[in-house]
Amino acid sequence: MKYTRGKPVTKDEILSKKPLHILEKIKENLEKLNEKMEVMIELQKHGRKETPALPDASLDVMTLLSMPDHLRKTAMTICRCGRATAEEISQHTNRARAVESAYLNQLVIMGYLKKERKGRKAYFYADRDSQG
Amino acid sequence: MSKIIAVHSYKGGTGKTLLSVNLAAILAKRGKKVCLFDLDFRAPSLFAILKVDNAECWLNDYLNGICDINKVLIDLSSRIQGNGKFFVGLANPATEAIRDISAKDRKWEMRALGRLLSLRNTLLNDQEFDYLILDTSPGLQYSSINAIVTADFVVVATTGDRSDVNGTRRMLKELYNLFEKKTGLVLNKILDSSSKSKKDEMHDKVKALYQVPLLGVVPCFCEILRAEGNFIFVQDKPDHPFTKILDEMAKKLDSNEVN
Repeated sequence: MKYTRGKPVTKDEILSKKPLHILEKIKENLEKLNEKMEVMIELQKHGRKETPALPDASLDVMTLLSMPDHLRKTAMTICRCGRATAEEISQHTNRARAVESAYLNQLVIMGYLKKERKGRKAYFYADRDSQG
Repeated sequence: MSKIIAVHSYKGGTGKTLLSVNLAAILAKRGKKVCLFDLDFRAPSLFAILKVDNAECWLNDYLNGICDINKVLIDLSSRIQGNGKFFVGLANPATEAIRDISAKDRKWEMRALGRLLSLRNTLLNDQEFDYLILDTSPGLQYSSINAIVTADFVVVATTGDRSDVNGTRRMLKELYNLFEKKTGLVLNKILDSSSKSKKDEMHDKVKALYQVPLLGVVPCFCEILRAEGNFIFVQDKPDHPFTKILDEMAKKLDSNEVN
């Protein structure tokens, strides 16, 4: 598998930095990898048919109505919350964090949501401010 | 518990505005802090019914992002008896404004939904309103669906008319259900609902037909037609049966009986 996100850890780095820091880095990269895999699994599950990959689609009510039920629930919750992590969304929907993470990432790929990383947390939101 | 209630219907002329105004007024009479919004941007009517023509800002301006919601709200508490508060937010009735809002695109509607959703924070949480009542346009259009998505509860007005029954059933299944909204049905302009047996029969029929809770049955009242929308009925006619029916509805909504 091609590894593009995190920088490879060199021998010098291992010697110069604390092991805890390196472990954290590994955990972070594993989480990112896990997220990507969840998205791939979800995409396979739903046969890719609801992924037009529009660059800047709007999350309006007619779009919400036409979505499959599992994605609508996530999209509606993010509309209400404004900006949230997969963990926060999962508390509202009573579904597993990993499931919400996959659906949120799918909505990002479809162009309905934007994703922003802050430290180790990933925040999702509908970009209402962009002009179009 | 404070909440947002949308009043909607499939067809026009089912009595949405009459129900919205009187439901808001009766909740205010019961001591609540209420705000009534006109979301029928294509045919605004609250300004005429409530005889307000001096709005500093319209609800259209708030949704356009050019003014704060507090500039839109008009305090009409003096028109209601008791300690409750009665505010309104009006749609701009000017033809130009109707044309303008009809030509909005999806992106704008998405931002409008965001602004409606944020009313929960600014009005319910920060300013301690008990109820926001949203009067909508009939059928499936952006402003109405935005209101439905924003609301905690949808009051669905319907008549006995065949075309209305059919469309309402479809909306219950294909609109409110998809958004997981709680609904309560109001049967309006109904004949022969005075006796207890007729009432029970009606309840059973509605339950079988729509499979949602019945919030109230409003018979045809000539006095309402005679009033020609000139006053707030529940305020001016406190002893009229219509007022009693609305009071029962408000009680049900307030006690979470229908939720």
